[in-house]
Amino acid sequence: MTMTEAPEETPAPAAERGPKRSWVPRSLLAIPAWVWFVIFFAAPVAWILYYSFGQQVDFFTQIPDVSHPNFHRYTEAFNPSYFPTFKRTLKISLIGTALCLIIALPFSYWLAVKVPQRWRGLMLGIVLVPFWTNFLVRTIGWQLILSPDGFMSSTLQHLGVIHEPLGLLCTQRGVQIGVVYNYLPLMILPLFVAFDRMDPALRESSKDLGASRWRTFTQVTLPIAMPGVIAGMLLVFIPLMGDYITAILLGCAKGSMAGQLVASQFDSTLDWSLGSAMAVMLILFILVTVFVFALIGLALRAAVRSHRKVTLVDVTSDGGK
Amino acid sequence: MATQTTEQVPTAAARPPAKLYKPKADWANRALVLWGILVFIFLFAPIVVIVVFSFNTGRLLVDWNGFGFDGYQSFLDNPAPREAVKVSVIVGVFSAIVATVLGSLAGVALARRPGKWSAGFLFFVALVLVTPEIVDAVALLPWYVTLGNWGLSAFDNGWVRLIVSHSLFSTAVVALIVRARMSGIDETLEEAAGDLYAPPVRRFTQITLPLMMPAVLAGALLSFTLSLDNTIISSFVQVQGVTPWPVYVFSSVKASLRPEIAAVSTLMFMLTLVAIGLVALVLRRGGDSSSDIARTMTGGGG
Amino acid sequence: MTDSKEPINILAPPAAIDRISRRLFMAGGLAAGVGGAALLAGCGNDEPQTPAAGASSSSGPIEDNLEMFTWGEYNSPKVIKQFETENDLKFNLSSYNSNEQLIAKLTAAQGTSGYDIIVPTGPFIPALVQHDLVQTLDLARIPNFKNLDPQYTNQPWDPNNEHSVCKDWGTTGYCYDTTQISTEMSTWQDFLDVAMGEASGQVSILDSPDNICGLYLWANDINWMTEDQAQLDACREFSVNQLAPHVKSFESYPGSNGIPQGTFWLAHAWNGDARLGIMSADPGQWKWVFPGPRSEIWMDNYAIPTGAKNINAAYAWINYLLDPEVSLQELEFIGYNTGVKGIEPAARAAGVEMLDLIFFDEAQVSTMEAGELNSAQTTRVQISNEMKAAAGG
Repeated sequence: MTMTEAPEETPAPAAERGPKRSWVPRSLLAIPAWVWFVIFFAAPVAWILYYSFGQQVDFFTQIPDVSHPNFHRYTEAFNPSYFPTFKRTLKISLIGTALCLIIALPFSYWLAVKVPQRWRGLMLGIVLVPFWTNFLVRTIGWQLILSPDGFMSSTLQHLGVIHEPLGLLCTQRGVQIGVVYNYLPLMILPLFVAFDRMDPALRESSKDLGASRWRTFTQVTLPIAMPGVIAGMLLVFIPLMGDYITAILLGCAKGSMAGQLVASQFDSTLDWSLGSAMAVMLILFILVTVFVFALIGLALRAAVRSHRKVTLVDVTSDGGK
Repeated sequence: MATQTTEQVPTAAARPPAKLYKPKADWANRALVLWGILVFIFLFAPIVVIVVFSFNTGRLLVDWNGFGFDGYQSFLDNPAPREAVKVSVIVGVFSAIVATVLGSLAGVALARRPGKWSAGFLFFVALVLVTPEIVDAVALLPWYVTLGNWGLSAFDNGWVRLIVSHSLFSTAVVALIVRARMSGIDETLEEAAGDLYAPPVRRFTQITLPLMMPAVLAGALLSFTLSLDNTIISSFVQVQGVTPWPVYVFSSVKASLRPEIAAVSTLMFMLTLVAIGLVALVLRRGGDSSSDIARTMTGGGG
Repeated sequence: MTDSKEPINILAPPAAIDRISRRLFMAGGLAAGVGGAALLAGCGNDEPQTPAAGASSSSGPIEDNLEMFTWGEYNSPKVIKQFETENDLKFNLSSYNSNEQLIAKLTAAQGTSGYDIIVPTGPFIPALVQHDLVQTLDLARIPNFKNLDPQYTNQPWDPNNEHSVCKDWGTTGYCYDTTQISTEMSTWQDFLDVAMGEASGQVSILDSPDNICGLYLWANDINWMTEDQAQLDACREFSVNQLAPHVKSFESYPGSNGIPQGTFWLAHAWNGDARLGIMSADPGQWKWVFPGPRSEIWMDNYAIPTGAKNINAAYAWINYLLDPEVSLQELEFIGYNTGVKGIEPAARAAGVEMLDLIFFDEAQVSTMEAGELNSAQTTRVQISNEMKAAAGG
């Protein structure tokens, strides 16, 4: 039995256990990950922050000249001709998140509550299976589906639903569809977990007390599942704001998103300082949007709470976070 | 007003056996089932299309020219897509290993010894998760070039670049998953082992590790998947000669898509199905219910 | 057989040099073509039956890999396969849409790009040389260089072919779906009018800054390389504010991405790519237009970037493609004039389809202008970025 350093933070009983205990400070275990993040995340991002205050030397020199730091690149990135792109990115992301939520809510509820226990795992697995195919290939699949010369286009024309070849490819609507498709599993999973964790007893007691199914859902189930809803919305919204590949494949020139602006500075224009400034602006844009919506959400919750006559104590959450 | 067809007020302990609990087959439940089916069709539509088009004999994937195995033939003839898949798998395995090791250790630390430091670390993790992939990509490329200029020629190597880049996001994810799993488990088992005079290493390998194994496995699996799918960062930092599969597909998309892409995807899809089946079997044997698995993989509920 | 490797000493402004040398090489090309046909016919029996294997022309063993960074759909898969089999190597291709992307990749990698062969367009080569991004070529390792028509060698941007060898040359035009567009089109102004009218929202434009600006400038009979600020401003105003909203896609290869699927009605395209697209659609559905009053002449060249690892294989490849039979196979697929002596009669004899999209007569060539990497380059790139942003709506 060896005596090692005393733990940094000991749970109370340990102090009584004396020399039998030998803890290695567990917090040290996080150091490798910490170092990894510092070297390969913090440093590179700090580096491009540094570049964003410089300027392009010429078309052939990629390292910007930061001898006279200034905010000119930020002014350039704030060029009004880029505003539509940022606006469009926000629009597509918000609509995409909303659509994912609308589609996933009934679906996850059904899966978590209505489907018999023994089938749930299997069906959840089946839901995830498309997600295991490459992202690009899935989107190419949509290119094929939405193609004006394709099967769906001719079928819809035959059925008289549309009167000319399907005009969804190379449009913003096409991008919207692709985006909802690619991010739907990220909304389904947290919602499923949230609904699944909930004790059915709560729903049943609500019904026993006379609430209609709809009221049970909105006043019992949904509030308790709210953390899952929020997690899903964040999981979808944030990466979606930075995504631009779906827009390239399904939108062509239309529906181009902000990530493309950043990318093209690095792979065509070779203006790393401008690209860095745009990257910083993109992060800020996302954070500000999330913040604003968080505020709106809190305000809404306060309004709802003050209206509601009964506040449920969440007996199912297990402090696991 | 709808009530359940049970005999007593259900409590957690005395819930009637599952087969008596039947949701009523009325319009609301039927609607939910219909919605579920529609969503499944929506989710599988492009996959089915890709599988069908993998049998296209035309020069271009989008140009249906008749049924045949040309795509599969050209996959066998053309080494480039095979190479790309090989690169992706190898990078996936190694970056999953890196991410799992780093992330699991960090997750354990976060769960067992949260303190002042953990707030900062969690902030870091959150930052990694929140940063858009394009920003990571445009930050890493100049960084690797700079590191290479400073003499660390390892970062000119395509494999190193890919493995390191893919492991970043995955480490954060694994850390959260392991942390969620471990917080839910009491320390008493480990303390009991300590009381019984087990040395720290043995305590770790025989108590802690088995306890966190489902989370570690889920994390490793997730890391592997994320790495396989990683497109944006890979296309920026990759070095010619070590081209992962998504980058190969992406450059085909920009030039001309051939049916062999669909053929390779179909083959990978089949392999994935087999792999998932095996993993599910293993986890089932380990005693986790499917909800537990899902819960673990989503970090304990978000 | 002597090849004219002395530099063309002409006291003339750079733009004129382009025109003069172009006239010379076209005129010479026609003459050489006729003469070459006779030569080819006479020499037919002496040619080896199979294309020359690479081993004899490089001064070292051929490596196991060859990495090429090139334009899309720009090499015959059959030729690649043959080369791979004969030299027992793996040939990997990556593609880009514009010279700017090529330069961005090379500059960012600084010699570590991993590519062994790149395919820059002529005017970009001096800058590549200046920034040490390409190697000097040892022409002794390319014996088949003598097969190139001398009028396609020794270009103003690369005297003595120190850094590059001609791959092919072509022009820019457009093609349109006659089942959707009823107007007869023959000029760039027609293109703009139809794009903003009948075919609004169904138009694709090349994803290349100089070509994007060329639409307005050529329609107004202005040299597309103009550095005049007023003209560039007018170009910007028109492209961004008037044309952009009607554009469906910025696509450099509509022949593969768009025409076969019926996504566009009107496609701005390079001649070889348009040919691929037209051949993939119903016969007679798509029509190619070589528009006036001006257009482009571009020449793409093989060059070896600095830091290339598989140099012997690279030389072997360049040499392989200059063999007349292989060159004809290439031409049949890509639809561009490869510049090898006697290729036009050979193509005619072989029954290659749509020759009018590959070979051009003197009158057409006289309206073509070459590109330049001049001071307006940044402006052109900016205009194209803004146009893409404006088209996004």
